[in-house]
Amino acid sequence: MSRFSFPLTILFWVALAAAPLVLDGWNLGLLAQLMIYGIFAMSLAFIWGQGGLLCFGQSLFFGIGAYAMALTTKGMIPGVPAMTLTGLLLAMILPALAAGLLGLALFKGRGLVGAYFGIVTLSAAVIAERLATNWSYIGGFNGLLDIPPMRLGWGSWQIELYDPLPFFLVVLVAAIAAYLLLLKLERSAFGTVLRGTRDNETRAAFLGFETAEYKAAAFAVSGGVAGLAGALFAAQFAFVSPALLGFALATEVLIWVAIGGKEVLLAAFIGALAVKSVEKVLSDSLGQYWLLVLGLLFITAVVLLPRGLLAPFLRLTLPRALRRPEQATKHPTPEGRQGQNAP
Amino acid sequence: MVAIFRYDNMEMTLLIGLDAASYILTLLLVCIGLVIIFGMMNVINLAHGEFFLLGAYTVVLLQQYALPFAVILVVAFVFVALVGLLIEEVVIRRIYHRFLDTILATWGISLALKQLVIILFGPGSQQAVAPFVEPVAMFGITYSSYRLFVMAMAIAITAATFFILFRTRLGLTARGVIANRQMASCLGVNTRRVDRVTFAFGSGLAGLAGAIMAPLMSVDPQMGVGFLVPAFLSVLVGGTASPLGALWGAGIIGGSNSVVAAVWTPVIAQIVVFSLAILIIRLMPNGLTGRRRR
Repeated sequence: MSRFSFPLTILFWVALAAAPLVLDGWNLGLLAQLMIYGIFAMSLAFIWGQGGLLCFGQSLFFGIGAYAMALTTKGMIPGVPAMTLTGLLLAMILPALAAGLLGLALFKGRGLVGAYFGIVTLSAAVIAERLATNWSYIGGFNGLLDIPPMRLGWGSWQIELYDPLPFFLVVLVAAIAAYLLLLKLERSAFGTVLRGTRDNETRAAFLGFETAEYKAAAFAVSGGVAGLAGALFAAQFAFVSPALLGFALATEVLIWVAIGGKEVLLAAFIGALAVKSVEKVLSDSLGQYWLLVLGLLFITAVVLLPRGLLAPFLRLTLPRALRRPEQATKHPTPEGRQGQNAP
Repeated sequence: MVAIFRYDNMEMTLLIGLDAASYILTLLLVCIGLVIIFGMMNVINLAHGEFFLLGAYTVVLLQQYALPFAVILVVAFVFVALVGLLIEEVVIRRIYHRFLDTILATWGISLALKQLVIILFGPGSQQAVAPFVEPVAMFGITYSSYRLFVMAMAIAITAATFFILFRTRLGLTARGVIANRQMASCLGVNTRRVDRVTFAFGSGLAGLAGAIMAPLMSVDPQMGVGFLVPAFLSVLVGGTASPLGALWGAGIIGGSNSVVAAVWTPVIAQIVVFSLAILIIRLMPNGLTGRRRR
């Protein structure tokens, strides 16, 4: 919780907003792409860092968002107007619904915890990838091509976001909106209950909180944000494929978040930007050794720096009302007490 | 249901039955190491698929020197067990108390090992040669003799593992550590040593499984991934309280997969079976063999 966290956070967003002043169109497009991955990383960091839910299938929601955007703007969903706005809305609502329902199904009653949740979400992503590969209406193995670019505005006053600069600005606004939304939730009473559930679910339930519903709600928000990232991805690349739903992307996002730091949203965001941009620079010179280096770096981060490389510098202080009272640290830890009472 | 009657003759049923048994036993071969590591050490080893891979590549490498197949199998077991020992000592040991982090760390190990294999052997697929290839004729059908050998090996290895676990002093110690680690430690069991041996043994079993399966598959860096998800679902469906769970899990996942694949398509089979497995895991988090918590 460094003194410089808050100025650094502001400085980072200002620098990002000032990027169009120094970067040319090509690099601006690249930066927009990195920021899309950053939004995706924040969605995982929220559910993993705050909720303690290790989701191995976050790509599921990214992929649903991307497909929703693609199908809507191509006019392939009957009854839904082929507009960017409806596409974006569906791309957030559908994954949020999917995540919320999956969350309720998995957490209600004697819910799944920890590793079981990880394996089940991983399997869910694999199932979704198989389904998409074999569903010819949504393109099957080849996916969908020629997704139209975003259009903003109404009627005759419409602009098409072909150029990198307006698209970059849209992604910037989306990134800041996602960041502020997740940060607001994290710094609210809701976030406090979520962290309480993460640290000791039995105790949170005992205090009267419906922990399953809190976790499902957080999962839904996380799914919606991941869907937004997927929609932006589809609009930028004009292409979606079943790989967006599956295994490989889910692994990548886990690595970005673990290296950046799961408990701080901005650390996860920068983690994605950093790993992806280092990959672009180094994958030429290191070739096949890059993935080996990344794997080893990931192991090192998990074993030695479980809070991530960047999180310690970017952690913001909580609002005064939500801070832990000073004397609370003097009490014995919950683990210690449980240990004494155990038979 | 209609489709089943198309195979209403004896031979076809037998063939499907044999294929199902073959898949179940293969899955069991992969699961047994996994469930030992999971049940005993509470470590979800996502690098299990890559240990399988290392075993298969050992076969590819050693067959160039014309070693007897039995020797190759032993070398594969020992080599992968040593790799497991090294990984336990360097990485896993530090994170036993952080349950979720073991998944992440083993995932990282799996990425690194797979990439190492790609660097050393290239991304393309290699071929391992089966030591015997003549098909066997029985009950009016012909069946691959090597597949029968794999099934026999799976049964033998499972039986040997159970013998070690339930009939030897080492197994008794290990089960003591599963049941109550602290108590075992208090009674003078060196739990660190048990951990090391268990992890190495489980890894070695994965390597052995890979070596045995290598001649039946195309040996490529992705071959471990295909088994990973069904193997984990089998372990969770069966329950991790006892290694017996692996028998149930592999039987249900492997059996239903083979039957659905024969009736519809392999893709539908995978989707149906994975969904079914998720449902079972949700309804019975302790698995089919797990004791109900009160």
